[in-house]
Amino acid sequence: MNAEQVRLEAAREQKAPWKKWGPYLSERQWGTVREDYSEGGDAWNYFTHDQARSRAYRWGEDGLAGISDDQQRLCFALALWNGKDPILKERLFGLTNSESNHGEDVKEYYFYLDSTPTHSYMKYLYKYPQAAYPYSKLVETSRRRGRHEFEYELLDTGVFDENRYFDVFVEYAKESPEDILIQISIHNRGPEPALLHVLPTLWFRNQWSWHGHPDRPALQQLARTNKGSIVKAVDAKLGERYLYCDGDASLLFTENETSTQRIFGVPNRSPYVKDSINDYVVHGRKEAMNPEKKGTKVAAQYRLTVNPGQSQAVRLRLSDVAPPAGAQTNGEDATPFGSHFDEVLQARRKEADEFYKAITPAAFNNDEANVMRQALAGMLWSKQFYLYDVDKWLEERGSDPFKATRKAAPRNDHWHHMYNSDVISMPDKWEYPWYAAWDLAFHVLALTLVDADFGKNQLKLMLRERYMHPNGQIPAYEWNFGDVNPPVHAWSTIFTYRLAKAQKGEGDKEWLKSSFQKLLLNFTWWVNRKDRSGRNVFEGGFLGLDNIGVFDRSAPLPTGGYLEQADGTAWMALFCQNMLEIAVELALTDADYAEMALKFSEHFLWIASSMAHLGDDTGMWDEEDGFFYDVLRLPNGQARRLKVRSMVGLLPLCAATTFEGQLIEKYPEIGERFLQFLEARPEVTAAIHDPRKLGVAGRRLASILDETKLRRVLAKMLDENEFLSSYGIRSLSRYHADRPYVIKAGGQEYQVSYLPAESDTGMFGGNSNWRGPIWMPVNALIIRALLQYYSYYGNEFTVECPTGSGRQMNLYQVAEEIARRLANIFLRGKDGRRPVYGSTQKFQEDPHWRDCLLFYEYFHGDNGAGLGASHQTGWTGVIARIMHLFATLKPEQIIESGKMAYAETTADI
Amino acid sequence: MITVRHRKVALFVDRSSQQWVVRDPEGNFWIVPSVENPWDHRQPFYPTEETDLEPVPGHYIYVLDVPF
Repeated sequence: MNAEQVRLEAAREQKAPWKKWGPYLSERQWGTVREDYSEGGDAWNYFTHDQARSRAYRWGEDGLAGISDDQQRLCFALALWNGKDPILKERLFGLTNSESNHGEDVKEYYFYLDSTPTHSYMKYLYKYPQAAYPYSKLVETSRRRGRHEFEYELLDTGVFDENRYFDVFVEYAKESPEDILIQISIHNRGPEPALLHVLPTLWFRNQWSWHGHPDRPALQQLARTNKGSIVKAVDAKLGERYLYCDGDASLLFTENETSTQRIFGVPNRSPYVKDSINDYVVHGRKEAMNPEKKGTKVAAQYRLTVNPGQSQAVRLRLSDVAPPAGAQTNGEDATPFGSHFDEVLQARRKEADEFYKAITPAAFNNDEANVMRQALAGMLWSKQFYLYDVDKWLEERGSDPFKATRKAAPRNDHWHHMYNSDVISMPDKWEYPWYAAWDLAFHVLALTLVDADFGKNQLKLMLRERYMHPNGQIPAYEWNFGDVNPPVHAWSTIFTYRLAKAQKGEGDKEWLKSSFQKLLLNFTWWVNRKDRSGRNVFEGGFLGLDNIGVFDRSAPLPTGGYLEQADGTAWMALFCQNMLEIAVELALTDADYAEMALKFSEHFLWIASSMAHLGDDTGMWDEEDGFFYDVLRLPNGQARRLKVRSMVGLLPLCAATTFEGQLIEKYPEIGERFLQFLEARPEVTAAIHDPRKLGVAGRRLASILDETKLRRVLAKMLDENEFLSSYGIRSLSRYHADRPYVIKAGGQEYQVSYLPAESDTGMFGGNSNWRGPIWMPVNALIIRALLQYYSYYGNEFTVECPTGSGRQMNLYQVAEEIARRLANIFLRGKDGRRPVYGSTQKFQEDPHWRDCLLFYEYFHGDNGAGLGASHQTGWTGVIARIMHLFATLKPEQIIESGKMAYAETTADI
Repeated sequence: MITVRHRKVALFVDRSSQQWVVRDPEGNFWIVPSVENPWDHRQPFYPTEETDLEPVPGHYIYVLDVPF
């Protein structure tokens, strides 16, 4: 084991709390639902970026390149001031949903360059302009732009012209679990010397104001000389910590409390409030600083003049080790830095290299290794302490669910059981600083490459009583916990289980069992709530695919009636298969689960057959087009397919899983009962794949699509004029570029066209687009399905890929081809350019930018350029898993070992 | 049966006078100054039709040491 693996092991066995400190600070707490106490639920405008520097948060903290402990009692982050900005740069700026022409968007350049899973080493880069940051220019220009125009980006403002900016690298290295070395390196990329105020800031999350809490934590100056300074931090639960600051820095003390004067117009009780450091540094208000050198928020102020092309470093140390007695009185020996600091920092960098070398496939070149490492670094940096006591929140806004005089809350009224207080993997700590259940299931696929325990615990968390609704629903996301996300939790669970089983020789069956029990509740919730007609066809609303439908699928239809959703039903077919997989695994050692395996086998067939049936009634399968569509059921009993060729119609292909036959071998009577069922109900398998047909290596296949349908859908999916782009599978067929789908209802015309870039509607906030772009998670599902089909059909089953090219490929090769195209989004091509950066010259050509990677939310359907949230390493980080899979797995291994093949290749990690 | 309904305590800000205003469970309004032990220094307040009270989140109640 390498050093980082030893730390992971120590953390797992609770011998050393290596994960206690990490990047758990959000990058945006303002504008969140948690901080919103407005009457109408206008989160973005209730608590604004402008207020954030002055107003204490209720439920969490935010900052630049920050860290905190795992209960976020004490926070550390960076603040900067270039002498020209109107405010300190304490947090990332971005436009709110209504300010931008394509929804909320962070307007800063920052990069998660590295992190180990215990955060023993982390590296972050922030690019800070030397000119005044163009806050109002960004807002005003964006406001003027329409939905058909590009977003106005920070580079477009000219603020980075002539390279007049600082590269600010922040590195963290843990000497021990509670002793963190911090190095901030500032590089002047501009042509002239430039002044920068560097203000590393330590503060306590404000818990004392809201509960009448007697235990107020405290910061105080212990020592201050021109060689260094020490701050002592005391918290009743956390204990004592010390911030050591190397070199000559002033310590600026204030309180992390609301400036009631600025926010509410009521005079402050104390002159020391949250924005006092800002007022002192930017406006020279000396009286804003506490002369007694104590408080709950402190910044060390370094004034640096950095020459062009040069760099300077600031060093700090946040530690549980108290200074020697002499240091507390005269500052002598106050700075535990020196050569040992360098040695530890260097050692952690080297250990991070060793850790990543061990998990990076040998076949990778440097660029591929860099993409994989930064993808995983982004995943690890996207962890956040998430606190939300919904009951308390409802009470504080006068919506106490058990009070007769209550007001209705604008959201989450029925989720008062929820109490979240955990470190959770976020989709994007600025744009989506809240968990999203189905995103999280994908995050785990990548996170388990570096930290299987963390991945497993994330899945477990969502099923706990403090998260899952008593009725069995898994919370969707804080804007509406009751919304419906695709049920992919079971899939991620069995995937994670298999990895651990292969690595350790034995899976964690207790975890799998407990997950299965909770997933049963969730499955039952779906069946009872989302199958309106009881015919095994499902709804679900938008189901994570925002604007993919011709109508807003979460709103009442303009036609009346309802939708039978191809994706909702396909998701449930896949959910069934995953539950069946889990039941089979558990049944191998516990007979109680054999019955459940049979139950899910039959339930899958009911769902699959309802989807593909060829009866007189209008089904989802369109024989003429060879594709699946949503079916609109009108109040007058009529029905029609909504013929939009989209991901909705590809998801049925994703509901495919092979089985090795161990269950039938161990429990022949279960096999007999299953056969009896099939023989008694021939109509069930008439239009789907017949599970009795044995494939390669005697495998069985559960699939909605039989071979004929599979070939027909693949022909469309692999057609470059339809779904197959040079960078993966599109969310909507290019067919609709010239032939928009149009439907008239209620006197209005509704239309879906191919839009490869941003959305042109405000549906679901207008900040996402499923009408053309490439989305990583669904591509991952397609790849998974193709490998399942390959393990069943083997090498003999070939298709033309791309359609019309004359090139025949088996389904492993097709999956590999899609994976290659997806990876090409990020990799430097022969022309030296990365498609993800489109036509942005700075990112393509500047040596200080071109190898810093951003993992966007989705990608242009034609040229692969990054779109949407710029730091959604979350599920886009799955690219690390995809690249790893095809670099380590050989097709013959799949033929031999089936679903365990990939897990077995990871056994040596 | 007569049901006695207790109103919840509520906090407001009166921007014109730059003062906190608290409505107690009996429905009485109080001006609460920005001083130490603010609740001890409360003064009765009688809203008029012109009074424009802006709601403040419930958790600020603790900031004012309101004893409810």
